[in-house]
Formats: sequence, C-alpha cells, structure tokens
Amino acid sequence: MIRSLLIVLYGFVLGSGLARSSESVPVVASGRAQLLDALLTPPARQIAAVRALIGVEDAAITPALTAWRAGELYLVPLPNGALVPATLATAPDGGDFLVAISVLDGLPVPDSASGVGSAHPLRIVPKSLKSLETTATLRRAIRDVLEVAGVADASPSVRYESIERLGQSRKAEHLPLLQARLAIEKTPAVSRALADAIAFIQLSDSSPTVRLVAIAALGEAHSLAAASRFKELLAATPPPSSEEVAALSAALKKIESHWKTVNFFGDLFRGLSAGSVLLLIALGLAITFGLMGVINMAHGELMVVGAYSTFVTQNLFVSALGTASPFLNLYFIAALPAAFFSAALVGLALERGVIQFLYKRPLESLLATWGVSLALQQTFRLIFGPANVQINAPSWLQGSAAFHDVLFAYNRLFVIGFAALVVFGVWLVLNRTSLGLLVRAVMQNRQMASCIGVRATRVNMLTFAFGSGLAGLAGACLSQLGNVGPSMGQLHIIDSFMVVVSGGVGNILGSVAASLGIGTVDQLLQPLLGAVMGKILVLFAIILFLQWRPGGLFPTRSRSLD
Amino acid sequence: MINKLNKTLGVSAIALGLLATTALRAAESVKVGVLHSLSGTMAISETSLRDVLLFTFDEINAKGGVLGIKIEPVVVDGASNWPLFAEKAKQLLEQDKVSVTFGCWTSVSRKSVLPVFEKDNGLLFYPVQYEGEELSKNIFYTAEAVGQQATPGVDYLLNELGKKKFYLLGSDYVYPRTTNLVLKEYLTSKGIPESSIIEKYTPFGHTDYQQIVAEIKQFGASGDAAVVSTLNGDTNVPFFRELANAGIKSEDIPVISFSVSEDEFRGLPTKDLVGHLGAWSYFMSVDTPANDKFKKNFFAWLEKSTVPGIEKKGRVTNSPMVLSYVGVYLWKAAVEKAGTFEVDAVRAALESGVTFDGPGGKVTMQKNHHITKNVYVGETLADGQFKILKSYEGVYGEPFLKGTFGSK
Repeated sequence: MIRSLLIVLYGFVLGSGLARSSESVPVVASGRAQLLDALLTPPARQIAAVRALIGVEDAAITPALTAWRAGELYLVPLPNGALVPATLATAPDGGDFLVAISVLDGLPVPDSASGVGSAHPLRIVPKSLKSLETTATLRRAIRDVLEVAGVADASPSVRYESIERLGQSRKAEHLPLLQARLAIEKTPAVSRALADAIAFIQLSDSSPTVRLVAIAALGEAHSLAAASRFKELLAATPPPSSEEVAALSAALKKIESHWKTVNFFGDLFRGLSAGSVLLLIALGLAITFGLMGVINMAHGELMVVGAYSTFVTQNLFVSALGTASPFLNLYFIAALPAAFFSAALVGLALERGVIQFLYKRPLESLLATWGVSLALQQTFRLIFGPANVQINAPSWLQGSAAFHDVLFAYNRLFVIGFAALVVFGVWLVLNRTSLGLLVRAVMQNRQMASCIGVRATRVNMLTFAFGSGLAGLAGACLSQLGNVGPSMGQLHIIDSFMVVVSGGVGNILGSVAASLGIGTVDQLLQPLLGAVMGKILVLFAIILFLQWRPGGLFPTRSRSLD
Repeated sequence: MINKLNKTLGVSAIALGLLATTALRAAESVKVGVLHSLSGTMAISETSLRDVLLFTFDEINAKGGVLGIKIEPVVVDGASNWPLFAEKAKQLLEQDKVSVTFGCWTSVSRKSVLPVFEKDNGLLFYPVQYEGEELSKNIFYTAEAVGQQATPGVDYLLNELGKKKFYLLGSDYVYPRTTNLVLKEYLTSKGIPESSIIEKYTPFGHTDYQQIVAEIKQFGASGDAAVVSTLNGDTNVPFFRELANAGIKSEDIPVISFSVSEDEFRGLPTKDLVGHLGAWSYFMSVDTPANDKFKKNFFAWLEKSTVPGIEKKGRVTNSPMVLSYVGVYLWKAAVEKAGTFEVDAVRAALESGVTFDGPGGKVTMQKNHHITKNVYVGETLADGQFKILKSYEGVYGEPFLKGTFGSK
C-alpha cells in the first residue's frame, strides 16, 4: 500500500513538470494514478484497469501503453523499493549499461530516489530485468485504449489510422467521440476519414433514415471497406427493407464503378512503368545490337556492372558521411554517372578485347560474348560474394502519392521520367551531334564511311561504349526496384532482346514503342490471368507477331542488314 | 613348388594385412554422407547446412563419437543440379558405403534421390520445410510439415489477429501450390468462405509486384485481411519493397512468410519487412539455455574452422540448420539404442520414438518418420531477427493433410 502510494507520488512529482506546459492540468494526477494502477495491479484485474483508461486524457498513457504492448516496458526498482515504469535505452556515453527512460515524463530515471533531476541516470545491467508481460486479450484492450487516445493525437497519420480502426470496429459507443472530433478537425484527409468512420458506425443504427444517409455517404466516399460490408448486409438474414436494398445496391454500384476506373488508370500507369523498365534495359542493346549488329549476350552483365557501381557508391557515401548524414540520400544521383562510366569502361574493354575481331562474324560474337558474360558473373561472385547485396533506396524514392485513389509510387515515377530523359538524350546524341552523324554513317556502311575518312574503328569503339553505358544506367535504376546479385543480368537479357527484335532491329523508336506496348499488355493481362499465364501469353503473342512481321514494328531497310 | 607356396603365403599375408587394416579403420570411424549444393543457385542456403553438419560431427566426435566410434563425414556437392543429386547419392551409398546421409533442400532434389535410397536401403535425413504428401521408409523428415508451419501460422492470424480474408501468394512451384491447397481446405473448415480467399502465383525471379500489391491494397481495405506468402528467395525483395511503397503497414495487412528465415535476411534488406510475421519451428531468438549453448558453440567452431571458403562473418542460425543438427542427434540416439549402425536396426530404433532436447525445444521422432516439435510465430525486427509472439508446443508432424479437414 505504502509502496504504491510512493509510486503515485513519484509519478505526480515527475508528471507535474510536464503538465505545466500541457492543457490537461486538472486530470494529471488521476490519469497518472490510473495508469500506474493498470500497470501494477494483479493480472486478473489488469484488463479491467486498462479498459478504465479509455478516454482518460494524460500525456503519459500513450507512450506507456505503446511500449507495454510492444513488450518494451519494464518496472525499474528504485533503491527505496518503489517501481518506475520505464523503457530501456543504451546509455548516451555508450557504456555497457542501459538507462531507464521513465514513461511518465520521458526523462532518465535518476540514480537515487531522493535526487529527482540529478545528473546521474540509474544504470541497469542488460537482461537483468524482465519486461512487463502481456497476453493477446490484454494487448487487444491496450489497442482499444490507444485507438481512442489516437483520435486526438498530434500526428495526423496516427489520427487517421485510429479513426479508421474505430470505424471498422462498428461500436456505437465511439460515435460521440468521433463527432466531437469532426467539429474541430482541420486536416481534410482526417476529416474525410472521420465522416467515413461515423457513417460506417451508423450503418448499424436503429433508425432507418440514419442508415440510409450513412449508406449514401459511404457510396459517395467510394469506400472499399464499405463495399464489403454492403455485400454482407445484402446477404444478411433477415434481409434489409426494400428501400435499404435499393440504396445499398446503388451505393455498391457507385463504389464498384469508381474502383473500376481507378484500376483502369492504375493498370495504365503500371503498364507505363513496366514499359519504361523494359525500355531502359533494352535501349543500350538497341544501340549495340540494333545499330551495330553485335549479338551481345553480355548486355545483362553490363547492367550488373551499373548496379554494383551503385552499391559501391552507396558504400562510399556511407563510409565518408556516416549513416546519419542527410546527404546520404544523394548517393543515387552520384551513382548514375558512376554506373554509366563504369559500364562504358567495361564495354570499351569488351569491344577492344573481343568484339572488334568479330564484326563480320555475328554468330561467333554471340558465342564469345556469352563466354564473356559467364566470366563476368564469376568475377562479380569473387568480388562481391555469391549473395545479393543490399541497396537502400534513398528516402525520396520511397513511398507513393495517391491521386484520385490511383497510387503513384515515387520510384516508378522516377523510372518513367528517367527513361524518357535517356531516350531524349540518345536521340540528341544520334541526331544532333557530329558524333551521331559519324555513328550513323559507320552503321549504315562501314567500308564506305572509312573510305571517306571516318575513323571507323574509333567510332565503333565509342558507340559500343555508349550502348554499354546505357546498360549501366539501366542497372542503376533496377537496383531501386529489385535485387542486385551476380546472376541478375540473366533475368533481363531475354526481355531486352525481345524488345529490340519486336521493335525492329536498327530502330530506336521501334524499341520505345515495343517496350511500352509489351509492358502495358503484360500489366493488363496480369489481373485476368495471373503473372505466370500473362507472361506466357505475351511471349506467345510476340512469336505470332514476328511470324506476321519478321522485321518487327518498324523494319529498317538498310544495305548492311540485307 | 616351395617358392610358389611362399609366394602365395606372402600374397595372402599381405591381403590379410590389408583386410585387417581396413577392418581396423572401419572400427575407428563411421562414414556419414553430407549431400548439399555447394555451388549453383541453391548454394547460398545449403552451404549453411553443410557448415552446421560438420560442426555437429565435430561436437559429437569431441565427446567420444557414436558408440565410441568417430564420425567421418563424406561431403559431396549436388551443385543445384537435380540429376546430379541422384548420382551423388548413389556414390555415397555404393562407393563410400555411408551409414546415413544428411542432405537435400529443394523437394525436387529429394524426389530425385528417393529411388536411390530406396533401392540401396540407405537412410536420409531431410531438414527443410516441405509440402508433405510423401513417406519413404528410407527418409526421415526432420523438416516442418505443412501442419507444423503453415497451419499454426494461419491459426495465429485467425485467432490472435482476428483476420477473416486471406491472400495466398506464392512462387510457382510444388511447395507453395501444395501448401496453399491444404491451407484453402483448412481455412474453409474454419468457416472462411471461398470468396474471401485469393490465390496467386508468380514465376521465379519475378520483379514486378505492382499489380499484386495494388490488388492486396484493395483486398485489405476492410482491415481484416492478411497475406500468406510462400514466395521464394529473393523475389521477396521487390515484393516487400512495393508493399512498403504502397504504404501498406504490418498492422493493417500483415504478411506471414514461410520461406524467409534469419539466413535469408543476410541477403534481404530487412527494413521493409519489419513487423511482418514468420513461422518456424526454431528462431535464433529462442531464449533457452540449450539454444544459447548451441549458438555459442557453433560460432566458436566457425571462428576456428579450417573448412576452405567457409564464411565466418555475419553468420546466423535458422530453422533448417537446427533441424539438421537435431537430425544428427536423433540418429545418434537411435544408433545407441540399436547398438549398431545397421540401417534396418537404426530405422526400427528411430521409429520407436527417440527424443532429443534441441535448441528449439524437445523433439520426438514419430512412427511416421516426422518429428513432433515446437512451432513459433514471430515478428521481424530491424536486425533480421524474430521476436517470438506465440509458441505452439509439441506439434505433431503429419505429412498427409490434404483432404483431412472436413469442412463445416
């Protein structure tokens, strides 16, 4: 008894410092006392004590219960026998001991009970304390308390989630709380969630008029959660009144047609994004294979070079700036040129070492570059190990934006924009620079070009390096979408040849059209047939298409290809 | 004549001597096969099992071996090549004449060696979660059967989290397909209507999870849905990355994965998986003295190990490793019970129900060649470990679950 009184007193003393700055001065003592009661009472009474906290306003309740629910709350004994609920953290001086952070005031628990606010925090040996236990039912009670408290939380996203859950719990007791909040809520998204949650609860209201209004409101809000509830209501026994059935079906129809439109535009976006990925991986090949006619089986490995140089750049940034630096997010910007030039360099070596001897023998170049690709894969394994490496996406490429319920992931948007930029860049280089002119001349007729003084070997070398560099850029982008490992190139080589061949060998525009087309068809087929069947069907369609038009979408009439 | 006799005598003496030495050597050590892929695509996972097996043999040998005889491992490389697995199994059984073999990871490798073990009457211990629907008199499955991983995991979603809609997502091969078949029957028997279950598969090496994640987001909008994932290996990276980018949190739509263990996290960015669930019969974070001892000894062994090319840094322990470990000890217990290495006697001893207190808790060999063991459901932490949320004790291993759940 004396012990718990001491704790309450302790909590009050500590809490008052914080309470002065908060609005809830009058309830501090009772809120804190109730919280301590819930934490210290015997397990049999615990659930009731926790439930008693619903609606109690106190700054300490949310952090304490959140930690308790996660199994991170400890009762730290003080020398005078009192227990302080606290979380444990590593000591700021980096020693072997832990310090206890009281959940009552967020400050470190001081070394002696008398010295409140003393500079020396209590030191705790790791693993010497056991966390306060919970059971599933207790955690559910804690969650109920946190959800109600969350409605008034300072962070809009916490408010949003709590409100959404309260709505889905469909308990009429929460209605007054939600309605009161709706009157003062300022964030529009949260207001909408509040209105939805209120309507959701009102679906089970006793008055038919309230129910009808709620149904119409949810239909207006295009709520998906409501759609599945509507279906349940329609199938319920006894069935709802005919008036309600009509309202439900009308609202359901509205919701379903809205999501059909959303999914259509979503599919288009996903198709565009899948197409841009294909375009990026194929663009380099459109130059080395399409323009130069080299069947380069090592194209995939050139992408891997780009991906690994992204990895190396990331590690350089981490070792130079430390893991906490805000500039770390910029590593990816630096990685793009690094990926381009490292892959271009490898491409240059490949051209000088192998391909320059094989321009007149395309089939031998297939075998030779395949050999090179195996050698490169083994090299990656030797340098970076057989396992995949971890590349962390910079924060500005994480997450997504929603526009009319269609989700646009930032990394996908980036890939689309980047692919467009690269295509534009390639077009500029090929059509607006003197190098481009020489490239086109050599590609059209190598002998004739050298006759009129073009240094064909040099142009070949630079063109191949340029195509390889583009593959490197693709690799850097892919590192933001998937895995980076030694055999990653093998996954993409087929796709890139597929795009170049069906677009028409020797035609960059053809590759653009083919990749976007294949990407969109693939994404539109996927929801209907599944990923496996969708892919098979796309490949099958390409075979048929090439039977019909062997030259691809835009066949090139060129002397060198005849 | 005498000369000839002398010669014959000499030859026989040499022959006798040879025989004696081989007999002597046979008495000194018993050959045990290790059949895993040490190269190719499966090497990343399977090399860890070779390591833990070699550690276990050394641990047993240091304490005097089995029946006072030292274990001599014969390590062969299946090279992620299924027909080669069968050849290597033949070599182990017919040339090396091993008493027992520990090995295989993929079901297809197990299916490929099965006829060899049955023909030559060998013994194989198989340690990796699998789809069931198989029972060979020559194979002992220390692996998790579907009822020791998938159904307890789904139980957790149903009972503890109150989920009512299930999205079954898997890689397109036999383990996910069979597991999902059983899970669908199980869920239906628990009163989940067919319309609340979606089943989807993606090919190996799939990187584009946009469609699937968009579908999951809409499927889970009602707040009572969960994803049951049997996605294999590194396809988990693009999947979880897409999931995180779409703003799906583990509190709203939790994903329970049956193919992601601590060892996989060595190559996966854990950040996007934090809070999602896993179910295994062992987690590295199991807090028992037996597990502490196992981890301490294994890491100490790794430190000193002279096995060429062994990875020493950043190592972890996981369920397949521990099931390999308990497999060896169950075999040892059976051999000691039978008093011989002879396959039929050892099998009879195993079937009689030997037990071992392993790092994941007590395991007991059942008559049907599977083992009774504890099952844990855990939540992924940022450091690639699992926080144990729920443990199911002494779960019976039943390989034939298909069609056993009478629907209500």
